[in-house]
This record gives sequence, C-alpha cells and structure tokens, in this order.
Amino acid sequence: MLELIEVHTYYGNIHALKGVSMTVAEGEIVTVIGSNGAGKSTMLRTIHGILRPKKGTILLEGEALEKLPSHKIVERGISQSPEGRMIFPRMTVQENLEMGAYTRKDKAGIAQDFEWVFKLFPRLKERINQKGGTLSGGEQQMLAIGRAMMAHPRIMLLDEPSMGLSPILVGQIFETIVELNKQGTTILLVEQNARMALSIAHRGYVLQTGEIILHDTSAKLKEDPMVQKSYLGAN
Amino acid sequence: MKAEIKLALTMGLLGGVVVFLFGGWSVTVLGILIGVFMGLSIGGRVNKKDGPRKLALQSLSTAGIAAVVFIAVSLFQNYVVAPAGGQFPSELYIVIPANLIGGLGMILFTALTAALHGLPDRQERLGKLILMVVLVIAFPFIDRITGLHWSGQIIFALIFVILGLGLNIVVGFAGLLDFGYAAFFAIGAYTTGILSSPQHHIFMNFWLVIWIALAMAALWGLILGTPTLRLRGDYLAIVTLGCGEMMPIIFRNLTNVTIKEPLTCWIIPGIMRLFNSSAATKCITIIDNLDLTAGEKGINPIGRPYLPFIGEFQSNNPIPWYFLIILLILLSVFLIRRLRDGRLGRAWMACREDQDAAVQMGIDPVHTKLTAFALGAAFSGFAGAFYAAYIRGIFPSVFEFSTSIIVLCIVVLGGMGNINGVILGGIIIMGADRLFLPALKDLLKGLMDHTILPALTSNHTLQAVVAQNANPILYRYLLFGLTLVIMMALRPEGIIPSAQIRAELHADEETSAVEKAVKN
Repeated sequence: MLELIEVHTYYGNIHALKGVSMTVAEGEIVTVIGSNGAGKSTMLRTIHGILRPKKGTILLEGEALEKLPSHKIVERGISQSPEGRMIFPRMTVQENLEMGAYTRKDKAGIAQDFEWVFKLFPRLKERINQKGGTLSGGEQQMLAIGRAMMAHPRIMLLDEPSMGLSPILVGQIFETIVELNKQGTTILLVEQNARMALSIAHRGYVLQTGEIILHDTSAKLKEDPMVQKSYLGAN
Repeated sequence: MKAEIKLALTMGLLGGVVVFLFGGWSVTVLGILIGVFMGLSIGGRVNKKDGPRKLALQSLSTAGIAAVVFIAVSLFQNYVVAPAGGQFPSELYIVIPANLIGGLGMILFTALTAALHGLPDRQERLGKLILMVVLVIAFPFIDRITGLHWSGQIIFALIFVILGLGLNIVVGFAGLLDFGYAAFFAIGAYTTGILSSPQHHIFMNFWLVIWIALAMAALWGLILGTPTLRLRGDYLAIVTLGCGEMMPIIFRNLTNVTIKEPLTCWIIPGIMRLFNSSAATKCITIIDNLDLTAGEKGINPIGRPYLPFIGEFQSNNPIPWYFLIILLILLSVFLIRRLRDGRLGRAWMACREDQDAAVQMGIDPVHTKLTAFALGAAFSGFAGAFYAAYIRGIFPSVFEFSTSIIVLCIVVLGGMGNINGVILGGIIIMGADRLFLPALKDLLKGLMDHTILPALTSNHTLQAVVAQNANPILYRYLLFGLTLVIMMALRPEGIIPSAQIRAELHADEETSAVEKAVKN
C-alpha cells in the first residue's frame, strides 16, 4: 500500500535519512523503532510532505507522493498524529476534531466519523466543549489520534503516541490502536517504546542514524539479540 | 448595590466628560446614548427570571444617580467652565429642555434597555436590534436638529471602522501582523480618483468605481502578499512595514509615466545595431508622459455618488453619506461573518493557532494566508473609494505609516478577532481623534486665554508659549500610544475580545483554574 524506495532527506546539510526503503501492506500495523535522533519523525514528516526528499520515491498504491504538497497528501488518505500531539490548544475538542476533517466535504461521512471517534474515545465526548490545551496528556493524545481519524485515512501515521504518558495510559492508547487497526485502518507506528510497539505490530523496522538496519516480523525482532540489547533493555 | 452605584457614577461622569467639552445640546444626545449603554451593562448581572417590569424598576435607582451626576456636570460646564473659557453660557430656553430631555432620556433608555434583558432570548435579541437600528437611523437627524454637527466627523470614524474590519481579517482572524495596511486604502482611493476625476477625463459612476476599487485593492493584496507571506511573524511585520512605506512614495512620484513597447523600442533596434544596420524602426509608445497621480498636489475634484430623489451627494449634507457608509459597514460585516464561519475562517484560525499543525490537517498555508491578505485588502478598497468621494480629493500624505498604525490600534483596542469590538474601537479612537481632541483643544484654549494664563503670569512671551503647547492635538500620537500601553497592561484582549484570543492571553490563569478544580 505504502512504499518508500531509497528515500534521502536532508535538514540543510544534515543527512537525516540515508536511503530508507520500506513497505506497509494494507491492514498491517508496521512499527519503526529507533533511538532519539534516528530519523523516525523525519521519516513520517517526509511521507506527509512536510519535508521534501532529495532523492527517492514514496508510493501510495503505486502513485508517487513526493512531489505533492502536504494538503494534497491528506486528501489522498494519509493522516498523522504528530510528535508532541500538536493539538490546537485554544480550540475546543469539537473544533479540533472538525479541523481533522478539513479536507472533507461529505457531511454525512464526517458525522459518522465523529461517532466513530467518540465510540473509541468516550472520554473525548465528555470533554467535547473543553479547550484542547486544558486536557490532560492522555486526553490530548486521544484527541490527536481522534483528529487524525477524522480525515478518515487509509493509512494513519502515529508518531510516538506513548510520549510522556504513564504506563497505564500507554496500555490504553495501544489497545485502541489495535482496535483501530481491526476496524480497517492501516497503521505506521513510530516508537521509542520498542517493547510496546513490537507487542502490537505485525512487522517492524529498526532505524539507526537514518538507515534501516534490520527488518522482520515483530515476533522475530523480539528474539533478535541486537534488538534485545539495544532497544528492549535485556542484559 | 455597591456595584450599581459604581456603574452609575462611572457612566454619569463618562457622559459628563463629553458634555464638559461640547456643552449645549450634547447633553441630550449623550444622555440617551449613555442610557442605552448603562442598560446593556446592567444586563450582565441581573436575574432573567425577574421579568422586564421588575428589571426596569430595579434599574431606575442606578439611572437616577447617573442622571443627577450627569446633569450636575452639565450645569457646572454651562455656568462655571463656559464663562471661564470666555463663552457666554447657553440661554435658559436651551439649558432647561436640553438637560431635562437628556436626564429623562437617560433614565428612560436605561430602564427600556434593562427591561429587554427580562424578555425571552429571541425577543431580547430582537429588541436590542430594533433599539440599535432606531438609534443609528435617528442619530444624523438628532445631530442636525440639535446643531451639534458631529455627523461629518462620525463619518470619518465609520470609514476607519471599515478599515478596522478589513485589517481584523488579517490580524485578528489569520494572525498576520500587517503594518502596511494603509497601502490598500491608498489603492482603493487612487483607483477611485483616477477613474472619476478630470485628471484623466474619466468620469465613471461611483457605484461602479467602488467595486473596481475593491477588486484593485484585493489584486494588490495578492501581488504584495505572494512574495511576503512565506515569511512568518516578525519578518512579515517588517516586510509589510516596507510595503506600506512604498505606497505613498509611489503615488507621489507617478507623475510622469511613459510605457514603451519593448519589442519595437529596444529589442529590434538592438539586433539591428548588432548587424550595423541603420534601418530605422518605429518605436511604439503606449503611454507617453502621463501624469497618473498628480504627485503631492493630489487628485481633485473626484466624482460623487448620485442617487435618484437624493441627487448628487453634497458636502454640506452629511446625511446621505452617513447612510451610505452605514450600508457599506453592514455589507462588510455580513460578508466578514460569512467568511469567518465558513471553511476559510476555520483555516485562518487554525493557521493562527499553529501553522505546522494546520498543515498536517491538510490546510494549504500559503493559500489560506493569501486569501486573508487579499480579502482584508478588499475591504479597505471600499473605505478608500468612499473616502475619495467624500473628501473629493486625495493626497499621498493621507496614506502614510501613521494611518496603518491607527487602524491597527483600532483592531487591538476593540478586541482582535471580534467584529463588534472592532466597530466600537473604531468609533472610540476616531471619535476621540476627530471630535474629542479638537473640542478639548478649544476648551483649553478658551480657559488658558481667559482665566488661567492672566492669573498665572503677566509675561506675554511665556503666555504665548504655554498657550501654544496646551494643544492636545499636538499630542495625539502620544495619547494613542499611551492608550495602547494602558490597554496592553490592563486588558490586552481588547474591549470586546473574541473568546479564543482571551483564552490565548489568559491561558495560564485558565490552566491554573483547571488545576485547582482537578485538585479539589
């Protein structure tokens, strides 16, 4: 469904992605794990058109994305729950969710997706008129995912949904990601919390200083000694 | 009870200050206006269930106190201040009815407006609307009957209200700081000047020109916006400042415009010269030595609007102009509301909140900001066309930096992002500038010449120096600046803020309130 072929991205002179290739098939949860500064968020930002690759191709269902501006990429069916959540702090929960559906014009579909979000995150419905900035961290993360759902994406990019949350909340968020995937949304999940990410993903890639050094099914990655040592904290 | 007395004293004195400056019949007009305002203010703290009659009766005590204060100031002005300023006090046959109508009007309108709060929501809104419409329609006629002659200056204030509404789209809705807004005002005005004046012997109908001015201003909004809007925040502000400075200079210097067709004038002769050919080609000149803007002396006279039954609008009769500008404001408010509540409005606000997040929602930031810039500019085209026709002449100096800053003050003072706030801000700032300060100047001059200076010193040179400097108009920018500083310190969200911007500026208070609630 989504395919990256030899993608190179730069921040000025810094070579952040050094020829990344990966695929995500329809219906999968694919995770990319890696430490700080490995280029995980850069990769998602490149897919989403916020950064431009210098070389390489990004294909969605065989169509090239890398020349499209980001708002067109959202229309093609990719939405993102960005790193640090980036919700609109002064807008209410409702307004934030409406912004998520900005590119859509089908009123009936939008109303359905409101229901979809509220079913998955009943908490958001309780807080519908509260300002985004006054929500707790976990609620903000729910809002960021809910907002990405409102674009009714074919593939959703999740950037570190566990960041800054307590273990119980992380567990809840990951359960909803699985639920979301069961309902048909393909998911590309970028995480530092490798243990959690590998526990729900079908396949995983290990990104290190801008290069994919390993990729396999989650089960096999969990057994891999290098992954265990570097990312799962085994001795 | 204490709050009511405070309100009554504030309102009574506020009206008193204005009456203090103008004297005569102003007491009547102010009495009614303050009455309505007081009635609206009382509304915030009443119990709706009490019903209209009880609310009206409750408001009577407040209104009564205010009226007494108000009339006391008015009488003090007439019998103490006016003679001290070398004027004769008004005759009794004016003083008695003016103060009587003013005082009673204040009480009556306070009660009436307060009573509206007791009605069901829909009727309350309808009642307020009717009251506003009646006041707006009645104003120029009362103004004429009482001989106050405020309409002419109020029209200036209303021109700036339109400018404020336009700039509010850019600054308030889209969050783009624009220091060069007068540039678009100038384009609207000069379009009107060029298309309906003897300057080029073009006399287009005003009703057509005003739309052309709107389109031209919007077009120039696009032209100036395209290269600048890639910048953010401070950088954008600096570039708009530059554009704003350029416009009056350009209009000052477009006095000798020559446009030659490049192919026949330079390219072909150049090629010929390469081949040492002496064959002469004819250079086609499209425009030769055209005086487009008449430089410093400006364009005048500019054509005026014409309507059947009313005839051509005249400068000695402000009433048709007044209703025209009111109509333009209503049209602008209607359009701006539609824009704000639509898809585009949401995109503006998302970009203002967080541009990076907005991009991830699928909003095209350049397109969004450009439409804000162009649409904001378009409304200044309205204002420019009206201004040119009303003044009958336009000069480059009108459109300088200070004009941009005044419009920005209007938006900030009134309340960024709030349409009603901007309207109020425009009337307050321009009313102060055009009515209040000149009246204050006359009052001070009278007092200085007749009472204070003779008592202070007998040195004539010193007297002249003091008299010259006691002119508040000299200090108008100082006063604007002070107003802004005080506003920013006390109420940064403006008089009537938009809910979102208030939240932005008081975010820490709000979160701490929430934290408290969570702890409890």
